[in-house]
Amino acid sequence: MAGSQLKRLKASLRDQGIIGPQQSKKQKRKTAEELKAKPDKRLQRGEALASIREQFNPFQFKTNARGPKFDVTTNKPAGDKAAMGIKGRPGVAKAVGEQRRRETLLLEMQRRNKVGGLIDRRFGEDDPNLSLEDKMIERYTREQQRNHKKSSMFDLEEGDEPMGGLTHMGRPLFDDDDDDEAHPKDDFDEEDLPSGDESDSSRAERRRLKRQRLEEAAEDQQEEDGQPERKKTKKEIYEEIIAKSKAHKFERQAAKDEDNELREELDTAMPELQALLFQRQPPPAKDGKDTREPVIIAGKDKAALDKDYDIRVKQLAADTRAQPAERTKTEEEQAEEEATRLKELEEKRLRRMRGETIEEDEEDEEEEERRGKGKKKKADAEEQPANPFDDEEEDEFGLGKGVPGKGTKYRPTATELGFDDEDDFLIDDDLVASGSELELDSDDMEDEESDDEDAGSESGSDDDEFVKGILTEAVTKDAVFHLADKAKGSDENGIPYTFPCPQTHEEMLKAFERLDVTKLPVAVQRIRALYHPKLDSKNKERLGKFSQVLVQHVAYMGDRFEPHWFPTLENLCRHIHSLAKSFPIEVAKAYRAHIQEIEEQRPLGLTVGDLLVLTAIGTTFPTSDHFHQVVTPAMLAIGRFLGQKIPQRLSDYATGTYLAILALQYQQFSKRYVPELMNFCLNTLCSLAHEKPLEKLGFFPVHEPAAGVQIKGASKTAVRQLNCADCQQQPLSPAAESSLKVAIISTTVAILKAAAETWHKLSAFHETFLPALLVLQHLNSPPNSAHLPPSLAAKLADAASTLARHLQLARLARRPLELHHHKPLAIRTYVPKFEDSFDPNKHYDPDRERAELAKLKAEHKRERKGALRELRKDAAFMQRENLRVKKQRDEAYEKKYKRLVAEIQGEEGRAANEYAREKEARKRKAARGR
Amino acid sequence: MAAAVADSAVKTAVKRKRQENGDTGKKRRKSGSGGDGDDDDLKTHIQKLEAEIQESRKHYNNIATLAELAQKHDENPKAAIAASEALCRIFIRLLAAGNLVKRKDASERDATVTSWLRDRLADYRKALLAMFRSKKVAFDALMLAMALLKAEAQHLGDRQDAVFPRYFFSDIVATLIESPVDQLREHFSENFIDQYDDIRFYTFEALKTYLTDREHSVDEDTRSVVFEMLISMEDVPESNDDLEDFYIEPPQKKKHPLRSLSQHKKQAQEAWLALFHLGLSKEQRKKVLEAMATSIAPWFTQPELLMDFLTDCYNSGGSISLLALSGVFYLIQERNLDYPEFFTKLYSLLDADILHSKHRSRFFRLLDTFLGSSHLPAVMVASFIKRLARLALNAPPSAIVVIVPWFYNLFKKHPLTTFMMHRVPRTKEEKELIESEGVEDPFLPDEKDPMETHAIDSCLWEIVQLQSHYHPNVATIAKIISEQFTKQAYSLEDFLDHSYGSLLEAEMSKEVKKPPVVEYMIPKKIFTKAAPDSEEKDSLLVSLWDFGSS
Repeated sequence: MAGSQLKRLKASLRDQGIIGPQQSKKQKRKTAEELKAKPDKRLQRGEALASIREQFNPFQFKTNARGPKFDVTTNKPAGDKAAMGIKGRPGVAKAVGEQRRRETLLLEMQRRNKVGGLIDRRFGEDDPNLSLEDKMIERYTREQQRNHKKSSMFDLEEGDEPMGGLTHMGRPLFDDDDDDEAHPKDDFDEEDLPSGDESDSSRAERRRLKRQRLEEAAEDQQEEDGQPERKKTKKEIYEEIIAKSKAHKFERQAAKDEDNELREELDTAMPELQALLFQRQPPPAKDGKDTREPVIIAGKDKAALDKDYDIRVKQLAADTRAQPAERTKTEEEQAEEEATRLKELEEKRLRRMRGETIEEDEEDEEEEERRGKGKKKKADAEEQPANPFDDEEEDEFGLGKGVPGKGTKYRPTATELGFDDEDDFLIDDDLVASGSELELDSDDMEDEESDDEDAGSESGSDDDEFVKGILTEAVTKDAVFHLADKAKGSDENGIPYTFPCPQTHEEMLKAFERLDVTKLPVAVQRIRALYHPKLDSKNKERLGKFSQVLVQHVAYMGDRFEPHWFPTLENLCRHIHSLAKSFPIEVAKAYRAHIQEIEEQRPLGLTVGDLLVLTAIGTTFPTSDHFHQVVTPAMLAIGRFLGQKIPQRLSDYATGTYLAILALQYQQFSKRYVPELMNFCLNTLCSLAHEKPLEKLGFFPVHEPAAGVQIKGASKTAVRQLNCADCQQQPLSPAAESSLKVAIISTTVAILKAAAETWHKLSAFHETFLPALLVLQHLNSPPNSAHLPPSLAAKLADAASTLARHLQLARLARRPLELHHHKPLAIRTYVPKFEDSFDPNKHYDPDRERAELAKLKAEHKRERKGALRELRKDAAFMQRENLRVKKQRDEAYEKKYKRLVAEIQGEEGRAANEYAREKEARKRKAARGR
Repeated sequence: MAAAVADSAVKTAVKRKRQENGDTGKKRRKSGSGGDGDDDDLKTHIQKLEAEIQESRKHYNNIATLAELAQKHDENPKAAIAASEALCRIFIRLLAAGNLVKRKDASERDATVTSWLRDRLADYRKALLAMFRSKKVAFDALMLAMALLKAEAQHLGDRQDAVFPRYFFSDIVATLIESPVDQLREHFSENFIDQYDDIRFYTFEALKTYLTDREHSVDEDTRSVVFEMLISMEDVPESNDDLEDFYIEPPQKKKHPLRSLSQHKKQAQEAWLALFHLGLSKEQRKKVLEAMATSIAPWFTQPELLMDFLTDCYNSGGSISLLALSGVFYLIQERNLDYPEFFTKLYSLLDADILHSKHRSRFFRLLDTFLGSSHLPAVMVASFIKRLARLALNAPPSAIVVIVPWFYNLFKKHPLTTFMMHRVPRTKEEKELIESEGVEDPFLPDEKDPMETHAIDSCLWEIVQLQSHYHPNVATIAKIISEQFTKQAYSLEDFLDHSYGSLLEAEMSKEVKKPPVVEYMIPKKIFTKAAPDSEEKDSLLVSLWDFGSS
């Protein structure tokens, strides 16, 4: 665009159509008219002018010193202000700032050193644009609006009162019933008041009338229809609207009435309904009461009734039976569910075995789903205890001072997983009406219990013979449970039906004093039924203690065992197991206490009771877990005996053999290696062999056998199995001794064979079992085998060949170790090498904190600068203002001064004039006089 | 002045005695029995005798009376003590006055008196030594004897310097050794040997002479007594300047043996050698070996003399070898002992019992030091690793826990040995061979020389097996060798000194807070056999054990 500034201005004005070639008069008139029709055109013109003005003022913008940037250098869209190089509008900014200061700072300045004052809040007082009249009008309307509560007088939908409330003696204006004649009746009002006691006759009358009217209206309509469409008058329209709304209103009213009626009906029928809901036959005595209930209700005071009602509502809300039950599942579905559940459990066990941590959250969610809402409370309680080993985590292997488990996160229990239902001894929770105490006395409670058990027997699909026992019993002994608390009966076996719940072992011994040992399980069953946690809040604690006592009792019985007790003991162990599902912590503590006792009192002198307890631990808890609070110590205790005991007597060997079996059984699933087992077994065989091996058979430590342990001349002895009596120290006849020796050898050989089966996949199988093979061969060599019964020798040969086969297989399966196929570790990098969409203005600090700090610092700096600038500007403004005020003052002073001077001068001048005149006059006079 | 010192020694002895007997004496006084009068009489009698002796030489015969009293310590210990105290005072005075020194210029009568007095002094000594055997008077007798010793040292010789009365002292030591009162020896070593350098010096000498003189007649008890005494002298002075506490005024000469540390050491060494010469019981040997590096070897000026003893012990095998190891190590480290085939011998120590031994931790500390050098041949280190890995297959958890981190450290130090963990077949043929034939372990377990075992060509299958150890912590630790070696080294001390007890305690000390997992299936059978027609299989326990239900 060439040309001078002026030319350019002209051109742009012409472009905008603000100026143009001269127009004729006609044209001018036309544009003027157009302007009048479209006032915004004028606005447009103003805008255009403003833009032109801006465009031509080079100081209006702050621009880039070197002009706009090239497109390639910036990622801001073209045509943007920033892209054009305009960075700001100093003029506008300044003006805005000035304006703001004038509004705030100036006011403050003026109010400085002044106290008090009036703020005028009258409407429009500050607005200079309003004329006095406008102000008055506005104020009046505001006042009206304020006084006018009701938004519209004709709002039919709102309120029943047609006009401003009660006016006539506190009664509505149109009370239709009483004063039918007295008041003129609104036609439309006839259906309006739907009071219950309205007489049917009047209603019918009104309906008739209405029908009439409608018919008339229809006739009108028809008449109108005949004619060409007549425009309705406003009145008609309004009438129509009113009619419609009244009709709607009536409908609503009717519906409400119906509801009310229904509710009342329900209210009166409530007690019966409730009885139905609870499915209980009300006792006959109460029946009479029920019939008279309305009377009583009428007689009772209202508060009591309300309270009653509230209680009922709460019960109903809390009643689980009020909730829809799940659909009964078909057998296939049940089987499938069971299968998936077992599979899940198995997977979890495997995960635990590998020592992997299970995400607890996920677990919890699953549980939540399974359990439903009813058991949320329980879930919360379980979430509470933190990981018990968290605090030890900082020690890397948890060895520290005292070698705890590392990386062994706590894993949820079966109960947590929602399997208490699997515990078949427990009576199904849902079947006990928890809220029924209101009308239940103790008799009812017992009824309930037997009911529950009935139900349990129906639903109990499990084939556990315990359940059957308890259930059939419960069914047959309904009466017993009735009497339970009162009469201490006993059944045909002499077992009392009720027991105190033993809380200590002494109590238990006392309670079962007169009971035959074989009857113990029945007693335990009864105790568990009698003290079911659902029956009393304290029962939970009691049963928890009881389960601990049971553990002690197993050990106690084990120490005094009789061979025929074992079915009983087994039963007790299973009871403990099932109790452990509900009371895992208590049972675990009891077992741990027993292990502790072993450790402190007889680490190397285990009794039969200890053996049984260790066996029970192995069945109650999953022995395959990488870490388990009970199993790990138990395994350690076993390992300690096997590793450290130097057997002196044959009973020690027997005990060790039992423990070796147990250790192997513990590891049946997870197949973990137990070095002590190998040591003990090989040592046992070497010690019992008739002759000592000539050379070392392996790296296991050999203890010098005690005198008389070596087997001698037992070739005629029959091979038998070991039993618990062998673990007890007792004097033996030579024959019994050799039989025991043979039994130990045969069992140990069997253990070795089983161990080889269990561990045949281990990587150092060859090294581990080669000594075993050597020992077996040594034992079966002529000088030794001569002292062994031929069947045992055959067994030895068989075991040796099995071992040899396994060893061969292991040798073939062995591969060089390749443990370190790890990804090479990357060197830690801190600053990324490359950044997409890199912006040099941005700071790419990988250190988050530092970046944030830098950001804060920058912000602080910016703010500080801004504040300083503002303060400076404020100061300048204030100075300017002060100067202005001063100038004003000075000016006023000057003016005044000048005025005064002028006044004085004027006066003086006049006086001087007068004087001059006088002088002149005198002069003249004198002259005349002369 | 010397006399004053001696007097004070006597006084302390008396005071001590009074403290001991004070209570009983008071009680007796209160009871006012007849015996009390006797005692008092005796005391005044003794005092009178003493005073008379002081008065004039006429009453010297009283010394004989007093000596007689002192000898009767079995019948009347109190009187004996009082008498010997009095005698002690008398003799110290006499010694201080020079009455016991033979002078050439003395008259014949004086000489007779002197020799008579000397005889009485000898009697008195004997009496004192005899008192060592009785429990009641032994302590006082010891104090008096030592006081007398001091006085004799200062005044008996006619020279200016004090001369240590060796014969008397060796008599004292000999009686001490033979005395049945154990506390007396303790008292002696506490108050004299540990306190005074010269006493220790002469004790060593006395012990040596005692042992050499009675070479054949020394019985087991005395040997152990001597052993105890020797072993209690453990504070070895570091330089000549440390020798400054002397009981008897030290000789002025700088060169005197008492002033030289090497002479002290020589005495100690000779005493020990004399003891070793007599032979030691197994228990004593163990004790000696345990104390070897700390309190015996430092006494030796020529530790080479110990070498035979130590090598003998080291070669004898068993726990004695283990214990001798630290002594041998001391010699190697401090005395530059060259032990031929040290590592072969060390390797041979790794036998089946080492991981079960109670000296395990001690051994591992030493082993860590021995194999700490990164300049050792990797082949040998590999042998140690492999041998220990083999042993770990039969080891208790507390031993495995030490071994594996130690392996880790060795792997870090000797990267060549890491082939034992990671060996990729190089050629296709090799791979096929392995696939078809499996692998034979090239390690020779019976090879004695650690350089020849081919362990470096082997793999650590044993440790991989221990990764599935029944104890979770052990398994986790065993896993460190198959994880990336990011850690610089493990501190061995964290893993030493564990046992079944400590592991169990660690487990039990944790409170059960979270409910433990319970087996979800309640087993049908635990002790009883399954019904023959059911599909259930008997558990291992039931099939191998007779629970009386067949």
